[in-house]
Formats: sequence, structure tokens, C-alpha cells
Amino acid sequence: MSENNPTFVLSPGPHLHTEESTSKIMWWVNGSLAPAVLWGVFVFGFNAALVVLASIAGAVLTEFASQKALGRRPTLTDGSAVCTGLLLALTVNPNLPAWQAFLGAMFAIGLGKMIFGGLGFNLFNPALLGRAFLMATFPLNMTSGWAMPRPWFGAPLDAVTTATPLAVLKEQGIEAAVQLVTSPAGLWNALALGFRPGSIGEVSLVLVALGGGILLARRIITLAIPLSVLAGVALSTLHTGVPLLHLMSGGLWIGAFYMATDYVTSPSTTRAQIAFGLLIGLLTGIIRVYGGYPEGICYAILIANAMAPALDLWFRPRRAAIAGSPS
Amino acid sequence: MTHSSSSLHTFGRGGIHPGPHKEATASREIEDLPAPSEVVLPLLQHLGEPAEPCVKKGEMVRRGQKIAEGGKTGVPLHAPISGKVKPVDKRPHPTMAIAPSMAIGANAEAGPELEFPEDPEWRNLPLEEALSRVREAGIVGLGGAAFPTWRKLEFARAAKVDLLVMNGAECEPYLTSDYRVMLAWPTEIVEGSVLIAKIAGAKKVQIGVESDKPDAIEATTKAAAALTQREIPVEVVPCEARYPQGAEKQLVFAVSGRTVPARQLPSAVGVLVQNVATAHAVYEALRFRKPLLDRILTVTGPGIVQPRNVRAPLGASLADIVEFCGGIKPETNRMVAGGPMMGRALPRLDVPLIKGMNGLVMLTGRGPLEDGFGPCIRCGRCLDACPLGLEPDQVSVRVEVGRTLDCEPHGALDCYECGCCSYVCPSSRPLVQFMQVAKSALRRAAATRSAS
Ligand code: SF4
Ligand code: SF4
Repeated sequence: MSENNPTFVLSPGPHLHTEESTSKIMWWVNGSLAPAVLWGVFVFGFNAALVVLASIAGAVLTEFASQKALGRRPTLTDGSAVCTGLLLALTVNPNLPAWQAFLGAMFAIGLGKMIFGGLGFNLFNPALLGRAFLMATFPLNMTSGWAMPRPWFGAPLDAVTTATPLAVLKEQGIEAAVQLVTSPAGLWNALALGFRPGSIGEVSLVLVALGGGILLARRIITLAIPLSVLAGVALSTLHTGVPLLHLMSGGLWIGAFYMATDYVTSPSTTRAQIAFGLLIGLLTGIIRVYGGYPEGICYAILIANAMAPALDLWFRPRRAAIAGSPS
Repeated sequence: MTHSSSSLHTFGRGGIHPGPHKEATASREIEDLPAPSEVVLPLLQHLGEPAEPCVKKGEMVRRGQKIAEGGKTGVPLHAPISGKVKPVDKRPHPTMAIAPSMAIGANAEAGPELEFPEDPEWRNLPLEEALSRVREAGIVGLGGAAFPTWRKLEFARAAKVDLLVMNGAECEPYLTSDYRVMLAWPTEIVEGSVLIAKIAGAKKVQIGVESDKPDAIEATTKAAAALTQREIPVEVVPCEARYPQGAEKQLVFAVSGRTVPARQLPSAVGVLVQNVATAHAVYEALRFRKPLLDRILTVTGPGIVQPRNVRAPLGASLADIVEFCGGIKPETNRMVAGGPMMGRALPRLDVPLIKGMNGLVMLTGRGPLEDGFGPCIRCGRCLDACPLGLEPDQVSVRVEVGRTLDCEPHGALDCYECGCCSYVCPSSRPLVQFMQVAKSALRRAAATRSAS
């Protein structure tokens, strides 16, 4: 043993480490999104697949290029750029031209993440910044021309210019919304299974909830943020008489389970997370009922993101009574 | 492995379940190291002044004979083997690189171990006599801190403690030495605890043992029930297996429900904490006047060929001890003295076994920091894991940008370096070290302030 003088690592303790790592967490998030993505692609057809691929490519290439340019270590394998690309794709119109999705993802990563210093330093959720950019730049492609579901097999369902249920609710009232979603299947059935117009990822609440369930079971997220977002929406839409329609619609669940729970842009302590979630939920309801957009979760989360660091400092962990050794 | 904590005693917040990793040695009895040819005894084995040799070089000494005086604050040293005294010299030390040390070369001519006949009055010694036997036996805290036990007892008595909490938690992964000690000498530990309680003036003993050691709980419970003298009740308290259950303040809360206030010692709430192996040593010191000559440690980890619980004379070379355990596998890349959570990595094995060393863990595979670390992704895991409610994430990002002096509100001064935060961080951030950096910068700043 001492003959060949092996050298030993003198790292400081602790000398054990959890199996969990940032990249494992990210790939679990990506994997948990797979059912909703695949279903969205199945329901909306070929262009949806193109949008998903373009968005991921835009995110990954932008991250890689900016790290090369800055001489930083490329971190593509950590899965977080793929995650941003996927999440962005889920929030856009399946009929969006793929190059626009690509641009949106470039914006999300370049100006939403790398410019702040990369993973961990960004203030706003990059995917939602990308979506906001697309809304501002290509508003027509983002908000109209919603495809009715057109499965890969069988005749495409017609009505290329249908509005989403929330838009109908906003513009034409509850009866019209109900009529729209009841056309291929029943109202709640439609909301849950995805046979209705909408963005790629929002069409199936069941599959988004399944993905969220995986993240909960893997303890990647807790219920603190998603539940308080949903509670906030329920509170702020109660007076409209259709809080359930609000709760079961739109990208709310993607927002609650995937966007609002993004570690970097949300607070870290449970109490701060509850405040953060409620804020998002209330803002979403207010935007939907009184604001100019049918869907409000995207802007609600972006606004709350800006408050996350402050929330962390307001709701600090409670110091244990025993803390502190005699000095 | 996670117990519903409702029925078990445990501490308040935070903590982790790093996995016991104790299988390799838990069922192995304590085995004696074959007599070493040399032992090395650093003169400074604990906080305080160094021991003063009282034998000359070349002198023959018998195992058990006093070879150095402890002075006003320390404890004496005894010859752990019979042999010939070598000159005091600077020799490699496990934590101080190099330190002045005595050494004894084994020599049959020196004669056998001294005899330690029983003192029939051992249960009823006057306080002064009992305390001086603890001191003369060279006993220090065997849980790792290695602070002279007689001083801790004296202090506890002055502070009027009423409860003795025995630490049998052994919450560090991999280590099983306390566990095997509890199985081998339950009666001695219970008797020793009562002796300690009497010296310290405590009225009651509670032994905290993690619930994943049911046979140790059973053995100590039986021994407590069989006590003939019952003026000091002894209770065994099963605790949840959760790191750091064995940290003093956590354990005191778990077994007694008492909260040791911030920046104070357990004596502030009337408690003295002692390790179970120390109780065994105190028992031998009072009943037989036998000094502390050996130490029991767990030699384990994926890098050791034959994991064992070993009893070795103090001062034996770690290389000999490792050799006794079949040597290390070529893939070993870290050698940790103590447990893997709070122990220190050793650069070499040609160092002596010292009193506070309860384990030697050989680890393979890449260490937590070998691939560098990533940015804080603000996941909050470290906040949930910290048993003290500190904010290692906030401290770490401030230290990274040089704002060490802004770290005090986030708990940098209160960190006791248990390592829970570093363990859980998915970005492998060395949070304990960030806490240390901030702590020493804050201390330095405070010192400069008070100096000017
Ligand atoms: S090392 Fe310090 S900051 Fe980290 S968990 Fe332990 S006490 Fe908390
Ligand atoms: S565990 Fe690591 S990544 Fe997570 S908040 Fe703490 S320091 Fe940041």
C-alpha cells in the first residue's frame, strides 16, 4: 500500500453526498413533461411537432453559442436549456410557424437567462419571457388561428380560426364557451383530455397533472406553490360564477406545476412559496376577469418572479431555538 | 428506514437520512489488533496544555504505567503497550501534520501489563477521589471532541446539572463502534453512567440510542433494569435514526424535551452530555483504577478489504490497523478519520490512533467536490436540511461575490458544520466551507472592531 505511494483526495467534509443533482432534477422535469408533449403533438399534428423541436433547438443552440462566445464551460447536459425550450413550446399556439418558435426560444435563453449570468442568476422565468416576446412580436400568430384538434389519423377537424375556450369565455360569455368545448366531447371531458383548441401543452389537464404528480413523488417540487396558485385563482374568480372553468382551463396547470415552481425564479422557503403562489393566482384571476388578455398566468408569474428574492428575505426560515454554539 | 417519528424521540427541524451504511460492521464483534511493535503518543491530544513526560528515554515501562503528567488542565498519558521509551520527537499527527510525541517500542523485557485489582468501595467513593480517578485515568470525551472528562464533570457539577444524557445515538453513517460497545458492555456502561451522574450531581440518566439499533436498546434497557443500586434512575430512550441526532443540543431535546438556548451549553438547562464509550472508561477507572489504554474504532467503507470493529492500543499506527483489516482496495480515493459527515480526510496512514478517533472510513468513487460545483439554483433543499434554520444558500452566494460581512443575518456565526446542507445540495456546493469562510471573516472583523 505504501510501496507505490497512492495519493488521496483531501476534500473537506462532508464526504458523502446525495444522489440528487441539478441535471438529474432537470431531466426528471423534462421526462415528466413527455406525456403532455406527446399528447399535444398527437392531438394537433405535424406542425406542433415542428414547434416543439424548433423551440428546443433554439434554446439549446443559443445556450451553447453564448457559452462558447463567453468562454464558459458548456452546460447543455444539465438539461435546463432543453427544459426551457420544452416549456416554451407547450405555451404556444400549435399553428405557430416553427421559425417563430425558434426565435422565441433564442430570446428566452439569450435575454432571459444567459444575460443574467446563466442558470441560477436569472430573475424571470426564461420560458415565459420567451412567450411574452412572442406575444409582443407575433401577436397574430400567437393568439389567432388556433387549430381545432386534428389527429394524425383521420380527417382533420375543421375550424382553423377557432378561439380558445378562455377567449370565448372572455368575449362571448359562458354559454358560448360551453358550447365550444362541448362540440366534440363534454365540457369537462374536453378540458381534461384535450379535444379542444389551445396551446400545445395546455390541452390535457390529466397529463399535466400526471407530470406534476411525478415531480411531487420525486420530491422535486412540493404542493406549496401549485396549490396556492390554484387557491388564488379560485378566490379571484369566485364572483364570476365559473371558478371551475377558470381552474380547469388554460395553461393554468402548466403554470402552477411547471412555471411557478421553477427553482431559480421562485422563493425557497415554504411560507414565501405560499405567498408567491397566492400572488400568482390572484393576479391571474384579475387579469382574466378585468384585464386585456384571456389568459393571465404568464404575466402573473413574471410579475411574481420579480418579487421572489424579496419574498425570500421577508419569509426567512425560522431560526431553531438551539442555534448557536457558545463562542 | 424512515420511521414515523410520532412514537420516537427526535429533534425539531431539518436533518437528513444519508443511509446507515452500517451493514458491513454492525454484526461484527470487536476484534483486538495484534500487538503493535510501536506506539506513538502525541503530547497534545486535546485542547489544553501538552502532557509532561515523567519517564526517561530508554526506560522500560509496563502497559498501564503513567508516562506523562497532564498538568493543570490536561490528563496524563499511560503506556498502551509494554516496552522501551523512545526519545520525544516530532512525528506525523492525524490532524496537526506534525507534533511532538512520545513513542514506545514493544519489548518483552518490560514485563506484562500492570494489574488493576478491584476497589470494593468503587460505588461509594468520595467525590474528590472519584474525580481524581477519572483524571488520572486519562479519560477524554470518546465521542470525538476529546475534551478532558474530569473538567467537563467539574464544570457540570458547578453548573448544578440534574440530568445526564448519554449519547448512544451514533448518527454518523458507517460507524458502529459505539453500537458494538453498547452490545459488549451494557452493564458497564449503565454502571459507568450512574458513576458519572453521581460525580456531576445529576439525579437521573437518560441513554439516547437511535432506533435502528434495537439490540443495543434492549441490552442497555436490560442492564438498567438489573441495577442493584437504584438511587439514580436510568432510562433508555429510543430516538429516530436521523442525522444529526447525536449532536449535543439535538440529542438533549430529543430525549429530555429541553431546549438548550442559543449560544449556551447544555448545562444551561441542567444537562450534561457524555458518550457511551466514555462511560465504559469511567467505570473501569473508578472500579479498577484502570487508565484509558485502548480505543475502539470502526474501520470500514467500500475501500477497505475487511471491514471490522477494532480495539487497538492508543498510539498504534493507522497503517497497522488498516493492514489488520486486509488493507485498502486500489480504488480508495479518500481516507476519512471519524465519520464521513464530520470527519477529516487524511493524507497518510503513518499516523497514530488518537483518543478521539472513532472511525476510519475508506471511500471510493469521486468525492463530492472533485468535479467542481455549480451555481445555486435556489432549490431550497439546504434550508430544509439545516437543523438550525440557517441560510447556507444566502451565505454562499454572498461569499462568492465577496460580501462575507453581510452574512451574519443569515446565520454564518451559528453554523456548527454538521454538513447537512452540503450533503443535499444538488449543485454540490461546498456550503459548509462557505459558512466557515463567512464565520471566520465575521470573527476577524469583530476582533478588529473591538481592538480599535
Ligand atoms: S453545516 Fe451549518 S448551515 Fe449547514 S446544515 Fe449544518 S448548521 Fe446548517
Ligand atoms: S441546496 Fe444548493 S442549489 Fe439548493 S438552494 Fe441550497 S445552495 Fe442553492
